[in-house]
Amino acid sequence: MTGRAATGRSLGLLVCLDCHLTMRDAKAPQMRCARCHARLHERKPHSLALTTTLLVLAAILYVPANLLPVMDTQTIIDDESDTIISGVLVLLHSGSWPIAMLVFVASIVVPLLKILALAVLIYSAWRRLPNGRMQRSQLYRAVEFIGKWSMLDIYAISLLATLVQVQSFASIIVGWGAWAFGAVVVLTLLATHTFDERLLWDAR
Amino acid sequence: MPLVMLCPACDLAHRCTAAPAFVRTRCVRCHKPLQVARDATIDTAIALAACASVLMFLANVYPLVAMHVNGASRQTTLIGAALGLYDQHYKMLAVLVFLTIFVAPLLHVVTLLYVLVPMWIGRSAYGQNFVIRLITRVRPWSFTEVFLLGSVVALVRLAKFAHVVPGIALWSCVLLMLCLSAMTSRTSSEQLWQWAGRGPP
Repeated sequence: MTGRAATGRSLGLLVCLDCHLTMRDAKAPQMRCARCHARLHERKPHSLALTTTLLVLAAILYVPANLLPVMDTQTIIDDESDTIISGVLVLLHSGSWPIAMLVFVASIVVPLLKILALAVLIYSAWRRLPNGRMQRSQLYRAVEFIGKWSMLDIYAISLLATLVQVQSFASIIVGWGAWAFGAVVVLTLLATHTFDERLLWDAR
Repeated sequence: MPLVMLCPACDLAHRCTAAPAFVRTRCVRCHKPLQVARDATIDTAIALAACASVLMFLANVYPLVAMHVNGASRQTTLIGAALGLYDQHYKMLAVLVFLTIFVAPLLHVVTLLYVLVPMWIGRSAYGQNFVIRLITRVRPWSFTEVFLLGSVVALVRLAKFAHVVPGIALWSCVLLMLCLSAMTSRTSSEQLWQWAGRGPP
């Protein structure tokens, strides 16, 4: 693209992120959308600072999420703690490798990639890197799309813990790893939400 | 000055033209969808939402899975999964599960019906603008499809040492997932505002 593209910022226009209505800066009363009354901002307020904070918290909690047991299976014969990765191995040994792959991707690969991708996005938005904007925008949309799939393990654990409560035979107790993992998922979802995609496109 | 619309993803200004009859328009720079097709009818959306509400009822009333082991048996419902976490004192996790598999999908369907049905008969619901905004805010937190795969994972892990029987609710969840995704793709916020008669020219 040659020259400066006409943007909302250069024309003094605002777009509502809730209903996508475009309006003039001055015509929006008290910075509220004329159609749906959502708060309007030229860019999401403190987008980079908020996203960074949430992301750092998520990255810190990613460690206990993977090291602490997510559930504890107590049977008459033994007592076995499972972390996320050992849960994947259990699935693998029981011969259901497609499900093992699914859990591996959803609980280990996706959160890690999400944290890395958001870090790349924050850096490039902060430095306003001019090249590969389309790719980064696509990366952001991919992160937005796959974000919720990390919840998969939490749901599996909650069902297991609810079902396996057979008195004196076996019971499954949820571990703190599950709590940390849930926090990682929510924090990365919120971080994705507070990131303003338009920052990737702002000219230097 | 001609009417202008901004791309919500990259802030690029586009000259506003009439929406095409059958396809969505996309931003020329970042390819974000901008306008919805004019031909979309409200009937399909209402039908899907009505269907989703029936499936949601089934999914919450009947047991999700039953487990039989050594003569003992246990079963749980959809909400029971969240309550199980609550009983083990993981209240925050329980709330998270409850919100994402029960409250958000329910609110999504109920609010859609609340604004769509009056639109269908040519009126507008009380507080329509607020409710449409609520729909777009609630939608990203409805995780039915993820829950479904999560329960498949749980079933596979249990099948090793117990006899598990998928219940009616699990099959309803499968249909609900398909129904919700069809409904969501037909009711983007642009589309809702267009049906409300407040879309772009």
